[in-house]
Amino acid sequence: MSLLSTRTTSKETPLVKNRRTRVIAVLMALIGIFTVFVFGWGSESRAHSSLTFTPLNLTNAPWHLGSLTVVTRWTDVVLGLVMIAAAAEVFVRQPRRAVMARFGGVAILFLLALLFWAARSPGPSPVSSVNITTILVGSSAAAMVLIFGSLSGVMCERAGVVNIAIEGQFIGGAFLGSMIVSTTHDFFFAAIAGAVAGALIGLVLAFLSLRYRSDQIIVGVVLVTMLSSLSSYLNLQVLTPFPNFNTGNLAPNLAIPLLSKIPIIGPVFFNQSGFFYLMIVLVAAVSFALFKTRYGLHVRAVGEHPRAAATVGINVIRVRYINVVLGGAIAGLGGVAFMATQGQFQVGYTSGWGYIALAALIFGRWRPSGAVVASIIFGLSVYLSYELVTYQVPVSIYILQMIPYLITIAVVAGLIGRVRAPAADGQPYLRD
Amino acid sequence: MQLELRGITKRFGSFTANDQISLKVEPGQIHSLLGENGAGKSTLMNVLFGLLRPDEGEILIDGVVAPIADSGEAVRRGIGMVHQHFMLVPVFSVTENVVLGFEPTKSFDRVDYRRATEDIERLSQQFHLDVDPDAIVENLPVGLQQRVEILKALSHDAELLILDEPTAVLTPQEIDSLMAIMRSLAAAGKSILFITHKLKEVKAVADVITVIRQGHVVGTAEPSASESELASMMVGRNVQLTVEKSPFNPGAEVLEVRDLVVLGDRGLVAVDGVSIDVRAGEVMALAGVQGNGQTEFVEALVGMRPVLSGTITLHGRDITNLTPRQALDAGLGHIPEDRQRDGLVLSMSVADNLVLNTPRRAPFARHGTRDLAAVNDNAVRLVHDFDIRTTSIQGPASSLSGGNQQKVIVARELSRPLEFLIASQPTRGLDVGSIEYVHRQIIEHRNHGNGSLIVSSELDEVLALGDRIAVMYEGKISGVVDPSVSRESIGLLMTGHTSETASV
Repeated sequence: MSLLSTRTTSKETPLVKNRRTRVIAVLMALIGIFTVFVFGWGSESRAHSSLTFTPLNLTNAPWHLGSLTVVTRWTDVVLGLVMIAAAAEVFVRQPRRAVMARFGGVAILFLLALLFWAARSPGPSPVSSVNITTILVGSSAAAMVLIFGSLSGVMCERAGVVNIAIEGQFIGGAFLGSMIVSTTHDFFFAAIAGAVAGALIGLVLAFLSLRYRSDQIIVGVVLVTMLSSLSSYLNLQVLTPFPNFNTGNLAPNLAIPLLSKIPIIGPVFFNQSGFFYLMIVLVAAVSFALFKTRYGLHVRAVGEHPRAAATVGINVIRVRYINVVLGGAIAGLGGVAFMATQGQFQVGYTSGWGYIALAALIFGRWRPSGAVVASIIFGLSVYLSYELVTYQVPVSIYILQMIPYLITIAVVAGLIGRVRAPAADGQPYLRD
Repeated sequence: MQLELRGITKRFGSFTANDQISLKVEPGQIHSLLGENGAGKSTLMNVLFGLLRPDEGEILIDGVVAPIADSGEAVRRGIGMVHQHFMLVPVFSVTENVVLGFEPTKSFDRVDYRRATEDIERLSQQFHLDVDPDAIVENLPVGLQQRVEILKALSHDAELLILDEPTAVLTPQEIDSLMAIMRSLAAAGKSILFITHKLKEVKAVADVITVIRQGHVVGTAEPSASESELASMMVGRNVQLTVEKSPFNPGAEVLEVRDLVVLGDRGLVAVDGVSIDVRAGEVMALAGVQGNGQTEFVEALVGMRPVLSGTITLHGRDITNLTPRQALDAGLGHIPEDRQRDGLVLSMSVADNLVLNTPRRAPFARHGTRDLAAVNDNAVRLVHDFDIRTTSIQGPASSLSGGNQQKVIVARELSRPLEFLIASQPTRGLDVGSIEYVHRQIIEHRNHGNGSLIVSSELDEVLALGDRIAVMYEGKISGVVDPSVSRESIGLLMTGHTSETASV
């Protein structure tokens, strides 16, 4: 078993690799063709879509970009053709790297095309318009929460523990965060409380799966179920009778001088809440720690081959405890960040974002940078799925909400590049 | 470094794995520890490497008593271990693997990879290991991976290297170069403790041989001792190292495989257009380093893995892509590679395991209900005929020793009329006595005029059993040769040289 018998297939034969790249190319082409014919040809020939760029909530913006009105049909046809061209490039050139990034690009173009199509007005004078900056700012809030979640997943799974409980840590962080900020009016304390809540949930996960070697998936699911029930109960018993504990403050934006004034980019990157900047710092810190430091090398060894790590004196169990607890704290912060951008705690309001974060983790190949890219795509699609309700489209938002999962299924099925989880991911470690 | 073990005793409950073992390794010496599986070699090494505490006895390093509490202490005292199953992280680079746990660091806990790489290059040159520090371990052939393990030990300043069954996974050429490395390490003053059960290798490389059996040191020998002397010391009785075969008298073709293509677990081509014929009364031995598609090939033959293209015919009947049930009914007997995973249901009784392939057939079942009396009668008979050592036929298969578990499978497969026998690594992990037994059964099956395919990564086994030898490399047959060819030419085929270049 083990090392010896698994070695057989580790060599990539060109034949199969080519086939997989071609499958991706075909997938991209199909999306492009769909865009051309359904969104492009499907819209009335005189229909126009109008884009605006000045953010609605940034009235003091020193810039004002006018609106841009485009013919829906031709815009979407062009977007579709770009996708098809990208597909052709992948099909013919068979690039060795960044195939997934190209797929991600096509996914983003598709969402844009969908948006133009949904927001089209029947004539040349637009009735409604699509505000690009608002969409990017709105998506960035969703992406931020997903990044916290998938970063938590990176921490845990790189050390070999599957953290399905991210959703639960979101709930715990959001609940506690809301109570603390309602009483102290300070998001600093809320963040600390949320991180502690997430860390404690992580500790339970670590304790049950490391000490008692319970199935990590089951423990994770149980924790989510428990947290969601507990939050419903406490909501009924505490938040409902005492609304002062759930005032729904939103975290204030901290505009960075000058940078925040840059058109479009400014509001998206430099006029955000403290959580957004914290997220960026965390991404950099986790990347650095994981791939540059001694500790990170130990973590990755523990996640790949714990026995090998143990024979050189690394304490496997301790590394896993540390990472699961830290990962839990990060997800807990994600819960507070969620609350700080979405408002008042409500029962079930994280609505599965923790699972989308897990999907982003996989799409991002267990790397912080990949998780960021995946979270941006998923954040955009999550945001649009809510946003499209305001336009009258014959597509249910539930279909759109499936996109992150559909992409994940495609990834896990091996359609998009080769994804490989850390080898010991989810495996209990037995000392002998 | 000089290492001395004095009266090491290690008990597990009532079982004594090591009983008063003493031996001495001198600096620059290659000391071979020879013994069968289960003789207590691994226990002794684990004691020495701090993974187990001895109940009695002491370890002396350079004449001073040196207790070893854990493997960290063993490493600090200059003992390095090259594990049988490499302790390497496949997705890490050579450098990352070598420094793991002993990283040179810069500010902010950063690993100083430049320094590490330089150290590795220096060591690699010094001992002619020829390893690229930036290579990813999983892309390296097994022989090189083993050198990475050796590098790892050397980088921790090991003065004594323990090599635990290091040749089990190597090709003959890799074994030769490993031996050259061992000699150059010894020449540089390192002591080497070489654990093995392979007589040829011991004779080729050892300075001193200590033989252990059932936890005791039964004696020491010079490398000049003959193989049969060493074998009888190891086993405790005279063993026949060669299998007696009746003259080769092949009949008609039984199994015919044409252009078989099979995918491996990750969807990559594992068997790449293999064609092979086996005749009646013939043992076709399939040699090759493990992991070159043999596993997938056998699984495809017995219906455990789908065939992508190509055909398999048995007595002219197409048996491609049968279910395992249909393959059994077609008369294929299968001794699987991993007996505990595919050969037995460990938690079920010996009696039930003995009818695992025919549970719903008469005489073991009638009208959909089992005939337990018939199952028991069968078990009693087979346990006697095949000399299976068990306290009870109702006891779980997991309670048997490895050799006896294998006998259960052999008994089950060979006790019914077969059209063809497929045996994969039939003697892996067995002691010399059991190997002798299993080999005799296979040859007897052949002598009755049946065809068989024996897959083995042990060259000795391939040469002992095969009437013809097919060598598999990276999913293809690199050559089919007669057992009289030299070991070297088979070795060349095992590394992918085709038969034209290898037959010289």
